[in-house]
Amino acid sequence: MTGRRTGRALLASGLLLTLVAAGCGVRPSGVITGRPPISGPAQGTWLYLLAQGELVLVLRPVNADPSPTAALSLLAAGPQENERAQGFTSDVPAGLDPVTVTAGAGRSGDLTVRANIAAQALSARAVDQIICTSVAAAAQVSAANTATTVTIVGSDGARGPRACPIR
Amino acid sequence: MTLWRRVGAWVSGLRVRLVLAFALLGVTTTVAVASGSYFQARTVILQQAQDAAVTSLTDQLTKVYPIVQLPPTQDDLELLAQRLSDRESFAVVVYRDMRTQSGSKLADPLTPELRQEVRDGRIAWQRVSLAGEPALLIGTQLALDSPDGTSRPSGVEVYSVRSLVPEQQSIDQLASRAWLTGGLSLLLAVLLALLSARGVLRPVRDLSQAARRLGEGDLSTRLTIRGADELADVARTFNDTAGTLERQVGELRRLESDARRFVADVSHELRTPLAAMTAVTDVLDEEAEHLPGDAGRAARLVSQETQNLTQLVNDLIEISRFDSGTARLALDDVDVAAAVTATLRIRGWLDRVRTELAPGIVARLDPRRLDVIVANLVGNAFRHGAEPVSVRLSADQDWVTIEVADRGPGLDPEVLPHVFDRLYKADTARTRSEGSGLGLAISWENARLHRDGDRRGSLVAGNGHHGGAVFTLRLPRETVDTGGAR
Repeated sequence: MTGRRTGRALLASGLLLTLVAAGCGVRPSGVITGRPPISGPAQGTWLYLLAQGELVLVLRPVNADPSPTAALSLLAAGPQENERAQGFTSDVPAGLDPVTVTAGAGRSGDLTVRANIAAQALSARAVDQIICTSVAAAAQVSAANTATTVTIVGSDGARGPRACPIR
Repeated sequence: MTLWRRVGAWVSGLRVRLVLAFALLGVTTTVAVASGSYFQARTVILQQAQDAAVTSLTDQLTKVYPIVQLPPTQDDLELLAQRLSDRESFAVVVYRDMRTQSGSKLADPLTPELRQEVRDGRIAWQRVSLAGEPALLIGTQLALDSPDGTSRPSGVEVYSVRSLVPEQQSIDQLASRAWLTGGLSLLLAVLLALLSARGVLRPVRDLSQAARRLGEGDLSTRLTIRGADELADVARTFNDTAGTLERQVGELRRLESDARRFVADVSHELRTPLAAMTAVTDVLDEEAEHLPGDAGRAARLVSQETQNLTQLVNDLIEISRFDSGTARLALDDVDVAAAVTATLRIRGWLDRVRTELAPGIVARLDPRRLDVIVANLVGNAFRHGAEPVSVRLSADQDWVTIEVADRGPGLDPEVLPHVFDRLYKADTARTRSEGSGLGLAISWENARLHRDGDRRGSLVAGNGHHGGAVFTLRLPRETVDTGGAR
């Protein structure tokens, strides 16, 4: 009898303990993840600058000419004042301008960027900036243009074709 | 000690055990049910609040598009934070090194793990405790629709910090309701336990009382049978047992009273022929001296035995009066010392007995019966004990005590319990004694006939310190005649 009663008491106190241990009220939780973030349209020219050595998307207010050529000219001009204030830089030499962008003859949708610079001397990050900016601008001109790779042709030859590392 | 034992008995009693069992059962069930529903309700409440907050934030964020400039200016971020703040929440907007926060003085509510998850490109939320109050952090990046159909992170991270105090209040209300329910169910359980304990304990108590009454001799005790449960079975068995017992005891009593009546009748029937025989033996006694030899001895023997027979029959008649309950006391205020002296004098024993009679003791009793008792005791002392025989009389407020002692060998311990038995012969080899064998039994009955309320006369046999039998007679000083009650 005593043993049974002790057993019951243990069971009851165990349940109570569980209740207390689980706690009342709102307890802090771990991080709960949901779906991907919401996405919306952007109006303007997409450029890729560098911040601390990484490619960063920059939106410039839209201008008359959304073509890849115009975008690359903006890229060659370098970061603006406010962008520089936030530590944005560009590896793309100013000598990139003038530049021409043509749809490639090879695989459909490939782009060729021609400029009067030493393509081999471009840093890897500068190449990425040029490729990503021109791919984004080309897509903006025509949604049908699904170019993914870009070849840079300079005075000393061609680099690429390469794809934009940012997907 | 006794108190502890009583407390222990109470604690281990059926009532307390039932109450404990019911209370434990009730509490356990309530705790299980209440805590289960409490946790479930809490989860639902929090999930709904979180989902609603996330939906509300994403709805608000769709309105900030299209985004026209990156990197944003500090003003842009502040404007965005302002738009996302409302009464219950405030917003933190982060773009790389820029950070703005609306509406709260809290330093930095954001947790590193949440920021990491948001930077990795998912909507994420987390419950935290901010300044002791629960809050929900929701974070997301603003992504940009790329012209090629994919979306690109813009680097703008938006965090909404929403107070969960209203939810906490609802949940606390749930908890207090759960406690209330638990308390009420405990109360109910205890009440139920007490009720059912009463239902079980009352028949048990009735049974116990009935058993006690039966043990005290009330053979007509019966239990009322209620219901058809195990306790009713016990009650039925008890009634059957009591019924059987009553029948058998009644049968035994009937047989006994038949036997006694038979003895009484026989004794009465013998009186008449005995009277005639006594008359004849009186004549024979007178003639015995003139009869020669054996004839004279035979005549004396017949005379002696006739006297003995008469005595026996008289004793039998006396004892049958006790048995039939027709013995009556003839009470009188008696000077006990004088009465005892008279008894001894009449028998001619006054010179042979040492008396210590306290003078002036007056008691209300039946003098004839006192005479019978004293004469019997003293006569026995002479017959079976040895002289000197002493009679001591003493008295107190309630009792008169007369002690008759001799200096003989005393009473054998084996004999002691039987000295007042009828026709008991201490010496089995001696088949015929001088007495009838009923003297002590009659004395005992006479002593017991004297009673005053709870006080009842008694005659006790024992042995004295210096050897010899001691018979102690105690009679109440104020006997009340209660008729022949035994």
